[in-house]
Amino acid sequence: MPLAIQRDLAYPTRFVPFLTTLLFALISVVPLNLPGFSVVTPALALMSVFHWSVYRPDLMPLSAVFVVGLLVDLLTGTPYVGISSLIFLLARAAVMSQRKLFVNRTFPIVWLGFLVLTLCAFILLWALVSVLHGATVGIRPFAFQAVLTVAFYPVGSYLLARAHRMFLAKD
Amino acid sequence: MRISAPVKMAAQRLALPFLVFVSGMLIVFGKTDLLLYDGLRTAVSDRIAPILQAVGQPVATVTRGVEAISDAVRVNSQNAQLREENARLLMWQEVARRLVAENAELRALVKLVPQDTVQSVAARVIADSGGAFARNVLINVGKGDGVTRGQAAMTGEGLVGRVAEVGERTARVLLLTDLNSHIPVEVESTHQRAVLDGDNSEEPRLVFLPSKTEIKVGDRVVTIGAGGVFPPGIPVGVVSSVSGEVVRLEPYAELARLEMMRIVDFGLSGVLPQTVPPAQRSSGKGAKSAATAQ
Repeated sequence: MPLAIQRDLAYPTRFVPFLTTLLFALISVVPLNLPGFSVVTPALALMSVFHWSVYRPDLMPLSAVFVVGLLVDLLTGTPYVGISSLIFLLARAAVMSQRKLFVNRTFPIVWLGFLVLTLCAFILLWALVSVLHGATVGIRPFAFQAVLTVAFYPVGSYLLARAHRMFLAKD
Repeated sequence: MRISAPVKMAAQRLALPFLVFVSGMLIVFGKTDLLLYDGLRTAVSDRIAPILQAVGQPVATVTRGVEAISDAVRVNSQNAQLREENARLLMWQEVARRLVAENAELRALVKLVPQDTVQSVAARVIADSGGAFARNVLINVGKGDGVTRGQAAMTGEGLVGRVAEVGERTARVLLLTDLNSHIPVEVESTHQRAVLDGDNSEEPRLVFLPSKTEIKVGDRVVTIGAGGVFPPGIPVGVVSSVSGEVVRLEPYAELARLEMMRIVDFGLSGVLPQTVPPAQRSSGKGAKSAATAQ
């Protein structure tokens, strides 16, 4: 067994970022059935990948990001398995390259960063789906989900920050 | 086992390109073999179904609360609306009774062999895709309940979609709004045939309509038996807009808020793309043999 996993098993709380991301991925597919609520839900897993990449990238390794993406694709039943892995991996790489812009900044700055990242991610996603489908697909559902994702970021980020403080405070 | 520092650094540097490459290859493989991930998907769905149902419980409670409040607010207008609807339905009931009696007489007259009764199984939605580019739902019935690929899914209002994947305890229903949904239909009054193509919007498009057709807003659209996927006559929706070549349809079933549906077995063997003979498929190694068969 690799040393990193042995060390992590000794400190189960080190799995909190991965597990919360999995939980977010699960919640995003649970049917809400709220009156007037659309079929599109915010991309909660992307939110969590971003959050942990900014605050604890050591506990959100690329392999974990890959696995979460794969699970999202299998859960949502998309014909393009691997597409979320790709988007999440690129999102994490983008965050890591610009990380100094986010660390120790106020919330609005981080939120702005998430907005830019989400826009890029969804434009890329739309382009990829269009190429794979062989024709341009409607951009409205993508735009709608992007807006919804950015709008829900404060709530998601707050919950993840709570988990961060609760489990990883002394880490 | 200790890994030397340079090797470790190289591995770290290569992890991103490697995983990006793997993701890309997964997408390409899935594109070339549409059934490649079926087994994996259903296996994951079957395992995760209990967790989804557990997570769904509190969400359903909150939803019911919100609904109760909004119902309470609208109680007066809703009441008037229901009274009106009730009056209309009573009239229909009268008509239906007369027709049933008349039908029975006529059947007896021509000695019609009664059709096989339709088997159906009720299913609850435990997950919906929620994404921007897929419209499907996961339901809590599977092989064990007699569900098979290609069966029609419907609510009391009308067609919802068709069963695309079946696991042991779960199945995935491709909604008629999905990009990959193509359903043969006809306009009920004129019998003009068309294909209902989903495009991920709320209102799917009617394509391949014969040119210069006299189609108008409000026309009822039903399924036809073409291809043996669906039995003819299931209500699908009404034409909601006609602008030039683009004809859109509003489905009868409320696809954005699906909670329960019926999976209907009309005893038809669908002709959905399936590369494996039925005997092999039922051996439980469907996905693997499908992958090797191509």
